Amino acid sequence: MPPRVVVVGLASDFGCQVQMTNIEDQLLDVLGRIELSYWQLASSGHMPEEYDVAIVEGAVTTGEHVALLERIRATASAVIAIGACAVTGGIPALATSGSLDDHYACVYGEGDVEVACGRIAPMPITSVIDVEYRVPGCPIDMDEFTQVLSRALQGLSDCIPREPMCAICKTLENICFYERGEVCLGLITRTGCNARCITLGRPCTGCRGLAEDANLESAILLLAERGVSREDLMTRARLYNTLEEAFTR
Amino acid sequence: MFFRIMDKDRLPDLVAGLSKGFEVIGPVAKGERFVFERIETPEMLRLDYDTTLLPPKKLFFPPEEQMMRFRVADNEVVDDEVYAAPRVIFGLHPCDINALMLMDNVFLGEYEDPYYRARRESTMLIGVSCKPTDECFCNAWGTDEVHWGFDVFLTDLGDRYFISVRSVKGAELLDEFVATRDADESDTAAFQQHTRNFKNSFTDDLDTSQLPLLLDAKFDDPLWDRLGERCLSCGACSMVCPTCYCFDVTDRLEADGKTGTRVRTWDSCQFTQFAEVAHGQNFRESRASRVKYRYYHKQWGYLSKFERVLCVGCGRCARACLAGISPREVVTALEMGGAS
Ligand code: SF4
Ligand code: SF4
Ligand code: SF4
Ligand code: SF4
Repeated sequence: MPPRVVVVGLASDFGCQVQMTNIEDQLLDVLGRIELSYWQLASSGHMPEEYDVAIVEGAVTTGEHVALLERIRATASAVIAIGACAVTGGIPALATSGSLDDHYACVYGEGDVEVACGRIAPMPITSVIDVEYRVPGCPIDMDEFTQVLSRALQGLSDCIPREPMCAICKTLENICFYERGEVCLGLITRTGCNARCITLGRPCTGCRGLAEDANLESAILLLAERGVSREDLMTRARLYNTLEEAFTR
Repeated sequence: MFFRIMDKDRLPDLVAGLSKGFEVIGPVAKGERFVFERIETPEMLRLDYDTTLLPPKKLFFPPEEQMMRFRVADNEVVDDEVYAAPRVIFGLHPCDINALMLMDNVFLGEYEDPYYRARRESTMLIGVSCKPTDECFCNAWGTDEVHWGFDVFLTDLGDRYFISVRSVKGAELLDEFVATRDADESDTAAFQQHTRNFKNSFTDDLDTSQLPLLLDAKFDDPLWDRLGERCLSCGACSMVCPTCYCFDVTDRLEADGKTGTRVRTWDSCQFTQFAEVAHGQNFRESRASRVKYRYYHKQWGYLSKFERVLCVGCGRCARACLAGISPREVVTALEMGGAS
């Protein structure tokens, strides 16, 4: 029996799920190897009781999300977190900088707002449950996704890279943004997207999260020498990273 | 070796001629920098380049290459052909030619690499003289000169090139594609003068005396910790280095799960995964130990095996390193007594 796979979305813009529909040729190949039991974006039915692999997109923003994740963890033998929101908190977790109450007041006005299913401070799903596989990025890279899914189906280990972006950026012979006095977060950002933005002519904004190998302390000092303050760097990094993660490593 | 003279305005003839029989690759502009790329028209060739972003090693040992394709069902190799078209690389500087010879020691030595060999054998090399940049320190290793390892070498004498012809194939190329004449005494004198001027144009002389001994003595120097604190573990230095040859091999499955590709990609000793083995054991867990290793391998380990250091002083790593770590700095610090 082919492995039963479900695709679930939490708080996100479903961009990664949309991205999955953009690779029809590969998708059909992948679909040939699995039984797609549920795909939130494309299914009208309910999530089944039993499945083997859960692909989860989006950040955790409600108590209901927490309960759902716990149920998924208890059911699936492998969980794949996809996208910046699920892996590093992404855009939803921007709300963790400053006071959550103020942010709500700013959006919904003063007074007690009834929030569906119990609001909590946004966080990546990896803060709630352990996952076997992570596909970072905003949106995910589909080649990486199919590789990771393949590994999951074969029962191989996670292969998420730990090193920063500069090496692959060099092999692509990009001219470093720092040579032109521009800030690029590639020097602390997890590699694996083929330095996509930089190769297209834009500095890396760090959507794949901080690299485990990154030397943040050194990067802060080096950027300070180049006139970029610690605060400025942190503000930039915060776009896709929860700050706690950055400072407590 | 023998010598010929070619008027400079003949250069386009030579490039156009070569293009008829070969894929011609040379330095071309990319923004304010240069890269080795296919030369479509003679004007693209920029022999006035300072250095290239990636060294020519990418043409023999690409950043990512398919080693073979395999079938999952029966574990059989489907395709392991190495495609190597006849090529000419036009415009290599002495450091980069020397670097290729250092790579040959590794890829064509004890454990021969068929991928590298196929590309190396199908490629002719035409060198060209250079002007040292502020980052260059090839003079410290003697790699500012090159006496073999090329087919033809052009030294720029202003209005003409002084051509050193090293191989029979190189001689045949010249005969076939361009008008040259024998070098006379005045040409040779001009060539010698050019060499003297070149040697004098280096901004400083790096003292590399007794370097291996110094490295032995400074193994526990705090210098390495200081460098480790600064290093970003980004691996940029290894990627841009013409003599770094480490690679990683991975198997990638196609989406259908039926076939896969074995891929080799450049690796760097600055990554934590580089020295990690089963059970998560890591021989070089700290950044300091990894930075140190890079220097001990290049300036000590390789030297003890091949009697050359594994560096040609091209300065690419110094330019690429955002943390400003460079061989020049490291060697100078060692000569000055380390961090202590
Ligand atoms: S452009 Fe960005 S990723 Fe590329 S080398 Fe520079 S800092 Fe690193
Ligand atoms: S270059 Fe940076 S911002 Fe762009 S896709 Fe890659 S990780 Fe994300
Ligand atoms: S380029 Fe510099 S910062 Fe990056 S790994 Fe090499 S020495 Fe460290
Ligand atoms: S170590 Fe640096 S200077 Fe030496 S060959 Fe490599 S890139 Fe060039």
